[in-house]
Amino acid sequence: MSRVDEEPEPTGTGDEAGTTAAFTALLEDSAEELYESAPCGYLSTLMDGTIAKVNATLLSWLGLECAAVVGRVRFTDLLSIGGKLYHETHFAPLLQMQGELRGIALEMKTAGGGRLPVLVSSVVKYTSGGEPLLIRTTVFDASDRRAYEQELLRRRQEAEQARAEAEQARMEAEQARQQAEADRGRLADALAVLQKSLLPDALPALPGLEAAGYYHTASPYQLGGDFYDLFPLDEDRWAFFLGDVCGKGPQAASLTSLSRYTLRSAAHHAPEPIAALTTLNTVLHERFTNGGDPRYCTVIFGQLEPQPGGHVTVRLASGGHPSALVLRADGTAEFLPTPGGLLVGILPTAPFATAETTLAPGDTLLLYTDGLTEARTGPARDSLFGEDALRTFAACQAPATAQELITALSGLLESFGDGLDDDTALLALGVPTHPPTRPATNRPG
Amino acid sequence: MSLLKITRRDAATGPVLHVAGALDYDQAPALRQQTAHLALKPGQCLVIDLSGLEFCDSTGITVLLAARQQALAAGADIALVAVPPNTMRILTVVGLDQVFTIRPHADSN
Repeated sequence: MSRVDEEPEPTGTGDEAGTTAAFTALLEDSAEELYESAPCGYLSTLMDGTIAKVNATLLSWLGLECAAVVGRVRFTDLLSIGGKLYHETHFAPLLQMQGELRGIALEMKTAGGGRLPVLVSSVVKYTSGGEPLLIRTTVFDASDRRAYEQELLRRRQEAEQARAEAEQARMEAEQARQQAEADRGRLADALAVLQKSLLPDALPALPGLEAAGYYHTASPYQLGGDFYDLFPLDEDRWAFFLGDVCGKGPQAASLTSLSRYTLRSAAHHAPEPIAALTTLNTVLHERFTNGGDPRYCTVIFGQLEPQPGGHVTVRLASGGHPSALVLRADGTAEFLPTPGGLLVGILPTAPFATAETTLAPGDTLLLYTDGLTEARTGPARDSLFGEDALRTFAACQAPATAQELITALSGLLESFGDGLDDDTALLALGVPTHPPTRPATNRPG
Repeated sequence: MSLLKITRRDAATGPVLHVAGALDYDQAPALRQQTAHLALKPGQCLVIDLSGLEFCDSTGITVLLAARQQALAAGADIALVAVPPNTMRILTVVGLDQVFTIRPHADSN
């Protein structure tokens, strides 16, 4: 279906002559129209700048009436103050010299008080005699371009700011790293002090007995849970203990502290080894059974009582702790087994095992924590040092004074390298073959 | 050190946890978590099958003790089965061989 009154398209299917005629008519018709409604502003001025002709596009951009402009104002009157200055100092002199200028950025005033960024190109028209006659000027609206430039500038500023912020962050991270390093150092110092507080500052000097202790710390950032002590019960008798609390870190340290002071005070009230362990068991069990993980320790507690002839009787009790070892003056080494003693603190009442021996001159008793026997040895660090190897090692040292034994064992611990990943405490008590000329005291290592 | 692998099955008497790998400072907490989420009923027996256990240190012992505490609190019992010799030696040293019910095989009573 088609409409009979429909006009044919100008470039439609008519004959060729008709098409050309229509096309020409269109062009002729558009000359004035093109000037007035062009997508850019046009204006012509006299050589003094007085506006002689201006197109509708520019007038509409500026919001001005033709009658108010033509013959009444100069081009510079349409410019902003900045634009006017630039025009007079650069634009006009250059135009006069070169006869043309292209793409100069200026700012025009609008009737509404706004600013219109424009790009201006001007050409001087000369008479046939070469005299300048008038200036033809084209004006392009550069708002979009200005916006684009401003956007570019803004992005550049943003990028610059981001770079500055990144640099700032890098500096802050570096400061934080230095701070963390300093904090780590302070923490290690604090932990070392705390760790020392869990051990006797120096072992006391005992009459007729030599004592030596050693403590190996697995990590400067992790408090260990091994402890030992040696102290007088009365004028004749002495007490000692060595133990290992479960776990590591501050909780283990507080348990260590509690265990150490409980055993110390228990020893004075009821010096029998089993009684001291029973008191500790009650304290730990009451303290830690109410919720949370079980907390316990293994410990050997013992009493030393001098006998005539320089002999010393040792009576000890063990709660789940590895057996003590005795090095004899005859060059042998044997365990002092305490089977059946239970971990301290896990049951309301616990069985503890006792053992007794006499140290003759030249004999040395060794207490240790399982860091020593559980050290991983071998090329692949996949086998345990173990109790048999310890006894063999000790037999090789025997007879040895307490200090000689501790020196040999600390060398052994060092030889384990990274196979030794647990804290290890050692306490040796030996009867000298000859009374010492001066009391031997040893600080923990 | 191999990774800890815990598998659970339910027997007529209660849950059975098969533990393989190492119960050490780094990995023992995984078993602790697993046992903490068991809903044990009175009269049941939690069986921990240690036949695949390669290493157990004091942290592992702590976790086993925590499981025992939890079982007893629920009115249930706990048994360790197929304890490897190394771990048995440690359990004996610390006296826990008298505290835990220890059986040679998972299906023995």
